[in-house]
Amino acid sequence: MKAALTSALAVLAMLLGWEALVRGKAVSPDLLAPPSAVLEALLRHPDILLDQGLSTARETALGFLLACLFGAALGAALSSAALLRRVAMPWVLALQIVPKMALAPLFVVWLGVGAPCRLAFAVFIAFFPVLIGTTAGLAGTDSGALRLCRVLGAGWWQTVLRVRLPYAVPQLLAGMKTAATMALLGVVIGEFVTAQQGLGYVVMFAASLGETALVLAAITLLCGIGVALYGGVLLLELAFARWYGAPMPAGEFG
Amino acid sequence: MPEAPTLVADAIRFDAVGKTFPTRPVPLRAVESVSFTVRRGEFVAILGPSGCGKSTLLMMAAGLEVPSEGRLERGGVELVGPHRQTGVMFQDATLLPWLSVLDNVLFPATIRRIPRAKVLDQAMRLIGTVGLKGFEGARPHELSGGMRQRAAICRALVLDPDLILMDEPFSALDAITRDEMGDVLLDLWQHTQKSAIFVTHSIREAVLLADRVLVMSRRPATVAEELVVPFPRPRAPALADSAEFGAVVAHLRGVIARNMA
Ligand SMILES: Nc1ncnc2c1ncn2[C@@H]1O[C@H](COP(=O)(O)OP(=O)(O)OP(=O)(O)O)[C@@H](O)[C@H]1O
Ligand SMILES: [Mg+2]
Repeated sequence: MKAALTSALAVLAMLLGWEALVRGKAVSPDLLAPPSAVLEALLRHPDILLDQGLSTARETALGFLLACLFGAALGAALSSAALLRRVAMPWVLALQIVPKMALAPLFVVWLGVGAPCRLAFAVFIAFFPVLIGTTAGLAGTDSGALRLCRVLGAGWWQTVLRVRLPYAVPQLLAGMKTAATMALLGVVIGEFVTAQQGLGYVVMFAASLGETALVLAAITLLCGIGVALYGGVLLLELAFARWYGAPMPAGEFG
Repeated sequence: MPEAPTLVADAIRFDAVGKTFPTRPVPLRAVESVSFTVRRGEFVAILGPSGCGKSTLLMMAAGLEVPSEGRLERGGVELVGPHRQTGVMFQDATLLPWLSVLDNVLFPATIRRIPRAKVLDQAMRLIGTVGLKGFEGARPHELSGGMRQRAAICRALVLDPDLILMDEPFSALDAITRDEMGDVLLDLWQHTQKSAIFVTHSIREAVLLADRVLVMSRRPATVAEELVVPFPRPRAPALADSAEFGAVVAHLRGVIARNMA
C-alpha cells in the first residue's frame, strides 16, 4: 500500500515537472504538449477519441483472443506430434526472425485496408509467445507424474486434463502476458499501414498536423487499453494461482 | 466360467525374464534370465549393486517395460501392461503440487473414476496410520520429504492393491527419517496380506521388512543369492537392535561383497 502511494506520488511529481518545464518555456509546447493540454485534448474530442479508441480496443481484444487460441492450438499440436514439429518448426522460427513490421504492407496487399488486415497482423505478431509458452509448459510436465499416470492406466485425455495442463498453464499464462502487449502493438501497426481508423490512425493524423497534444491523448488511451488487457491476464493468473495453491514454476516470459 | 486364478496363484512370477535396451552403438543387456516368484502375502526385498538393473526389473513388474524375453505372470495370468491391482512407489513421492494431500492420495481413484465416497474411509484410515492426520488439506510443498513419502505410500495403497512395488522409496530421505519410514511400512504390513517387491540399498531395511531377500549380481542382473529372513512376524522395530538381526545383516553384507568382487 505504501509502495503504491510512493509510486503514485512519483508519477504526479513527474507530471508536474513536465508541466513546469513546458510552461517555463524550457520546451516548446509544439514539440511536447504539457499534461494540461493533453487532458484538454482528451476532453475536446471525446467522441472521436472514444470512437477510435473503441475500435482499437475491440480489435486488440479480438486479436489477442485469436492469437491465444491459435498459439495454444498450434503449440499443443506441435507438442503432440514429432513429425509436425519437424515440418513446421523451421517455418515458425523463420517467421520469428523476419522483422515482422516489414511484413505489414504485405498484409494490406493480401487482406485490404479493413479490420481483417489489422486483426490478422495482430494475431501474426502475438501468437508466438503463446505457442512457445504452450510447448515449454507441456514439455515441462514432471516425468514422474506422467509415469504415475501410466501406472494408473490413465487415458490420453485424463493425462492431459489432470496432469499436463496444470503443469503447462503457468508458462501459457506467461506467454499470454507477452501476447497481450504484442496484440496491441500489432493493431496499432495495422492502423498505421491501413490508415482508416483506430487510435494508431489518430496518432499518425494528428502528428502530421503537429497536434502533439492530440497525439499524446491518443497514446494515453492506448496505454489504457494495454493496461486493461495486461491486467485481465494478470487477474487470470491470480485466479489460477489461487486454485493452484502452491509456488508456481516461473514462466519464461514473466 | 473358469475360477479366477488369483486366489491360488503366486502374486507375481518372473520366468527367465531378460531385458536388452536397444541403445547405440551397442545394445545394453540390463537383465539376464531372472526367475523368481513372490507368493501371495510375501514381502520380497531386492538388494544389488547400483546400475545392475533393479529398477528395470521393477518397471517390468509394473507393466511399464516389456521383457525382451521370458515371461511375467501376475496372479497366474501373463502380464501385458499396468495391472489394476498393483500399487507402485518410486524414489520420489511425485505428488501433484496443486492437489491437497487427501486429493493426492485419492488421485488413483480419480483416474479410475471410482467415486470418492467409496474410498474416502480407506484414504483417511491410511493417512491416520502413516501419521499424517491433520495434514489432509495441506499442499505437498508444505510437507517435509518424509511426510511426502508417507502420502505417496497412502496413494499406492488406497485402492487396496494385492501387490505393491517399491523402488528405493526412501533413498531421498535422511537416515533418521528413513528408519522411521521403515517402521511405518513394517507397521502397515503387520495388518495386511499384501505382497511386495521392495528395491533398496539398505540391508537393514531389507532384513527388517522382508520375508525373503534376493541379492542381484552386477549387470546384467540375475538372482545371485536368496536368503529367507528367519524372523517371525509380527516384528517390532526394536528387532533391528538385536544381535540375531545384526548377524543376518552381517551375513548379507558378506554375500553382497562377494557378488561385487
Ligand atoms: N530406458 C532405458 N534405455 C536404455 N538404457 C536403460 C534404460 N533404463 C535403464 N537403462 C540402463 O539399464 C541399466 C540398469 O538400470 P537400472 O535403472 O535398472 O539400474 P538399478 O539397479 O535400478 O540402479 P540403481 O541402484 O542405481 O537405481 C543401466 O545401465 C541403465 O543405464
Ligand atoms: Mg534404480
